[in-house]
Parts: sequence; structure tokens; C-alpha cells
Amino acid sequence: MAERVFITGVGMITAVGDDVAGNLQSLRAQQSGLDYTRQLTTIYKDVLPVAEVKHTTPELSEIAGVAGKEGYTRTALLGLIAMQEALRHAGITNVQDELTGFINASTVGGMCDTENVYFDIADPAKTGDFIRFIDTLDCADCTQRIADTVGIEGHIATISTACSSSANALMYGARLIKAGLARRVICGGTEALTRFTINGFNSLKNIDKRPCMPFDQDRNGLNLGEGAAYLVLESESLVKERNATILAALDGYANTNEAFHPTAPSPEGDGAYAAMKSAMEMGGCVPADIQYVNVHGTATLSNDVAEGMALQRLFGEQTPKFSSTKPFTGHTLAAAGGIEAIYSVLAIQHQLIFPNLHFKDKMEELYITPETSLLENYPVRHVLSNSFGFGGNNASLLISKYEG
Amino acid sequence: MKGKCYIQGMAAISPQHTFDGDLLSQPMAVTQGNMLSCVEPDYRAFIAPNSLRRMTRVLKMGLAASLKCLQDAAVAVPGAIVTGTGKGSLQDTERFIKEIRDFEERALNPTPFIQSTYNAVNGLIALQQKCTQYNNTFVHRGFSFEHALLDSMLLLSEGKPDVLAGAFDEITTEHFFIKGRIGHWKKETISSDTLYEHVSPGTISGEGAAFFLLTQEATAQSYAQLSGLQMLYKPSPEKLQHALGQFLTQHGVQPEDIDLVLSGANADSNHQHYYDVLNSYALGTQLPFKHLCGDYETAAAFALWLGASFLKQQQVPLQWFPMLKEQPRSLRNILIYNHFFGEQHSFMLLQKVDQTVSIKG
Repeated sequence: MAERVFITGVGMITAVGDDVAGNLQSLRAQQSGLDYTRQLTTIYKDVLPVAEVKHTTPELSEIAGVAGKEGYTRTALLGLIAMQEALRHAGITNVQDELTGFINASTVGGMCDTENVYFDIADPAKTGDFIRFIDTLDCADCTQRIADTVGIEGHIATISTACSSSANALMYGARLIKAGLARRVICGGTEALTRFTINGFNSLKNIDKRPCMPFDQDRNGLNLGEGAAYLVLESESLVKERNATILAALDGYANTNEAFHPTAPSPEGDGAYAAMKSAMEMGGCVPADIQYVNVHGTATLSNDVAEGMALQRLFGEQTPKFSSTKPFTGHTLAAAGGIEAIYSVLAIQHQLIFPNLHFKDKMEELYITPETSLLENYPVRHVLSNSFGFGGNNASLLISKYEG
Repeated sequence: MKGKCYIQGMAAISPQHTFDGDLLSQPMAVTQGNMLSCVEPDYRAFIAPNSLRRMTRVLKMGLAASLKCLQDAAVAVPGAIVTGTGKGSLQDTERFIKEIRDFEERALNPTPFIQSTYNAVNGLIALQQKCTQYNNTFVHRGFSFEHALLDSMLLLSEGKPDVLAGAFDEITTEHFFIKGRIGHWKKETISSDTLYEHVSPGTISGEGAAFFLLTQEATAQSYAQLSGLQMLYKPSPEKLQHALGQFLTQHGVQPEDIDLVLSGANADSNHQHYYDVLNSYALGTQLPFKHLCGDYETAAAFALWLGASFLKQQQVPLQWFPMLKEQPRSLRNILIYNHFFGEQHSFMLLQKVDQTVSIKG
């Protein structure tokens, strides 16, 4: 019998907070992290809102306790800060007490730093300090930097399935535990804002010049964000052995593919529907058991139609409370699944439903609307968290209250 | 992990003639220079012309290898698609970075951005085969393919009947130059067939795409059984040595049962010492393979393709391995040991499918 997988620690940094408590405070205060960039060099710096972490990269090195040490990209530093909090929160003082795995997620690795020196790197006539960024061109660099800094020695991997990357990292970590290949795996993702991704999404005409409006009739695209989030997953036996506090259970998950289009979902939300349904069923839940769905809700024209249709197909008139928290954090791509999984844990721990900011008018294609108010003392036992990405990649996680 | 894992179909595009025809009759392709490039097939047999025009090199290599693999296994829609790539589509990444600069962030064509996404090949395979099942992509240097395999083995043990697992990486002139700046390649220019005579800092670069259709059950068509897989992150030589012994024991194999070792040894004097671990056990013949494919993050996928070919054909193509004077006495157990610049190490145990015992129908 495979062991249950529990969440025993969480750590994060986003535009709305340097740690989990800061994030919770902003969510409760309904304080969006969207603003204009202070860190990026781009012609869109006063045009396209982003949810940027409010620290310079040297300040992040200070926070992470690696000031003056070379080779940490912004991506690695965001991740390291979130990782350190997750370990502290789980009460892990020596990570080598138990062989610990680390499944990270990233869409463009150290691009945030390499894009500024790339043409020097590629130019035989230039030499200089920038050579040290060569190793940060790929996605594994940030993962290994984080692992090496905190001393992780178990399974180590980086997943990149675009915007669903960290949801897939959580799923893979949970499966390694269930298969008995590890008893503790830390999973999530890290993402820094880059000129590369801003221009990428902008070239797809997917970015709104206004703060994003998920599930609104007038929505016109996403805003990018940055951040990192990690969740400590542990097997039931390890939790008992070390008497760890259980925050929530990861009882269900699913990854499905749309096989429809490289960057767009099917209008009926086939992939989203299948992912949510399978995750729910794996956790032994029926639609009526779900109190909250933290939707992918990017506010692109196509995502919200597809995801909304999938919700209606799965839940019908009894669709539970749902909201997109991307108006707070922006779309943090590979970190989004991790960040929103932590928000789901917070919803359960604090019995909260987070508001879907900036919503005004119902979409004409749907009869459902997102929750727009902060709901306190709301009985939340089971949450679905959705992350959908390019390549038709759909992931859904079922996060449940631990009731023994 | 319960359950078994058999290679039921496979295909490889590499710097050798591996895609079409009989492996044993192909001559060795030799590259003068330190950057090995793939012998690319005619993609039109696999990819529609309008798609082909938009796709860059590694996307074509990945998609064609995956489709040929499915054909080889006579499976249209696999139960899952899992891949590994160290670098994804370099051509698209390079192009988008340049276009951002050249066009000053205005009126950009989104295609290179979309195709630079590491899971673009996975998405294309799913789209072309209408595969709506599990789909994942690992991007962790010398563990990219290994984790794709581990994920696939987990999926089989969870009940998936079959999984398409693969790897793809390309090298470009620009990236070859960049990685050369941090000492990845030899300073002296060599001929690939003399690689092992040039033990010095750095190695030669390569590329390739290889896909495998993995199943829980063997048939008469099976190439080999993938019996074991282990990854070690930055191990000490002592830890590595201990782990190899444990790995063999765990899979019920004595060192002397290993008929052949496919070794990732690449004449890089900075990281060569790790391969000495193989000498501390009484293993069979050690055969290096990187003179054939060069070094890259997912080179172990090429080694797996080689090993599985040897086991099915029960011989080694001697023309590709001049260091081997005669066929191994037996070919039942093959060990693959590879590492990527000393950081990510992996062992794989590949076994001949026992025709009398394992095959069920």
C-alpha cells in the first residue's frame, strides 16, 4: 500500500511578500503586487505591469545569506530564499538527517541575468566577468545552486513544462515518495522576470496593459510575475517518526495533455476537465467535496474560456468558490503551481477564500463567476489547484485538510 | 519499484547512421573536428511540409525519432510521453534573444519563443499522435534523460501499459563556442575516431535524439529489459564505488555477470578519474561510446540505444568499435555508466530478454 504524502513545510517569495506570512497578509489585505518593473531593462518598463519582487538582486543575496558570493542568478536567489523558509517551517534543521530530494521547476533558468550578457558571452572579441554566467544558461543551474547551498543530496531534477512546471514537480515528488524511492522531497519552482519572457508573451499578444482581469468579460491577457515557492512533501511514516506537523495532504494529482494546439487550449477545456476530474477521483473526492478551486486563471482570452467551460462541465450549477490569485502575484510561470499550491494550503489552514481581484463583468461564454470577496471562516477541506501550460500541458492538484 | 520495464521499440538520430537500415552494416561516421553533428534523415516521411517549414532542427529530430520509435513498436498512442533535454531548442532560444535585440523588442515573431519552450517537442508528439495522457519534460543536464526514464518506470509500475520516453539535444556553432569558454572542449582539434588517444582537458561535443517505447511486458520483439537505473549527484569517488557494488547486488548481478560496460569515458582529463571506478570490479569488456556521438547532456540515451541494439542482435558492430577485437563471449548483461562533467552520474542495467521465462503471450 503506497504511503500518503503530506505537506509539512512551505516557503515562498512573491511580489506580495518575502515569505508565507507576508503573502497571507497581502492576500487578506487584497493588496495586488502589480506595478511597473524597477529591475528590468525593457521598452515595456512603463507600459506593461508586472508583479516584481520588491528587491534588487544584491538585496536578495543579503536575504538569502549569500551576499558577496558569486554566481547566484536572481532565479537561484528567489528559490534559495523560498527553500530556506520551507526547511525552517518544516522544522528541518539538518536536511541530511533524512535523504532529501529536490524537484525544482524553471522555464528559462538564469535567463534574467544571462540575457544581459549573452552577446558578450557569444562574442570571441569580448572577455570579462560575464564568463561566470555561462553555466547559468540552462535550467539546472538554479536547482543545483539551491541544493548545494542547503545541502540536499537526494534525487535532484528540474522540470520544464512551461506554466505547469511546478505542479508537475509536486506530482513527481509525491510519486517518488509513493513508490518508496524517497521519504522526503521538496518540490516547487522558481522564476525571475526576463526581457525574454515579457517579449515572448507580448509577441503572442497575451499581455494586458492593465492589471489582469481573470474571468472578466473585458479581460485582455496576463501580467507576468516572479517568485519562488517550495513545499516539503513527506511520507506518512517519516512524519510520524519525526513528529512533524502536517499542514495538508496531497491526495490527488493529474497531468493530462490537450493534444489540441501548441499554445492554446481547446475551447471546451478538455485537458483542464480531465486533469481536475482525475485529480479529484484519485483523492477519492466527488465534485460536492470540493470547496475551492484556485484556478489557473491567467486572464488570457483562451485560458479563461477553456478553464471556465471545464469547471462548468465538472461542477455544473454547483461550481464551488473559485478565484485566480494571479492579480496578486502575476503569472509566475514555472513558480505558479508552487505558489498556488501554498495558497491552497493557506486556504485550508486559515479557512479562507481569496478574492479574484479586478473582476467586474461575467464572461458571455460562461454562467459562473469567480469569488470577488475575501471570505473568512469559510469551511475549506478540499482544494483543487490548476496549472496549465504551453504544449497542451494540464496539471491539477488536490490538496486536502488532514483529518487523521 | 514493482514491475518490469522492457524496450519494445526505439529509434535514434545521431552523428552515426542510426536512423535507417541495419546497424551492423553501417560504417562508422568520423568527424574531423570537435563538434559532432547528427546525420539527419529525410523528415518528409514523418512530418507534414507546412509543419516542417516552421520547425527548427532539434524539434524535427525529436519529433521524427519519436514517431519512428512508435512505428517500430507498432504503437500509435502511447500511455504517456516523457522526455529529457539539457538545452531544448538552442536555435530558437538564440534566435529569439537576437530578435529582441535586433528589432528592439518590437513586432517580434512569436514562433522562436514558442519553440524555445523546453516541452515543445513533447507537445508536438502529443498533438501529432493525439495523445492526451501524461506528458512531462525534464531539463536537468546529465539527469534529464535519466529522470525521464525513472518517471517512465514509475508510470509503468503505476499501471500504464506503455510509455514513450526519449531525449534530444542539439549543438550550434554559437553554443559550441560559448561552452568552449568554460573548458568543455579540447583545445586541440581531433578526429573523432582518435578521441581516446587525446586525454587532455575537455572533450568533444555532440548531439542526438533517441526515443524508446517502454512496456511492462516483453514480447518476441523486445530489444532488452531495463532492469535498473540509478542516479548519483556529485558523488565522491568512494561513494560512487560503493554505489556501483550496491547497484549490482540490488539487481542480483555479480560483477563478472556483466558482459559489457558501455562507458561514457570521453578523454576529458578533468573528469576521467570517475571512470576508474569500473576497474575496481571484475566487470566484462569496457567499451567507450562517445567517439560515436560526442558528449552532451543526454548522451546516455544514445548509449541505451546502442546497448539495446547489441542485446537484440546479439552482436556488437565491430566497425564502430575498433578497440574491440572480437565479439564478447556472451551478451546478456550490459552496464551503462555515464556522467556529465563530473556532476550527474548514472548507472543503467540492461538485460537480454529471456525468451523462455519472461515472455507472456
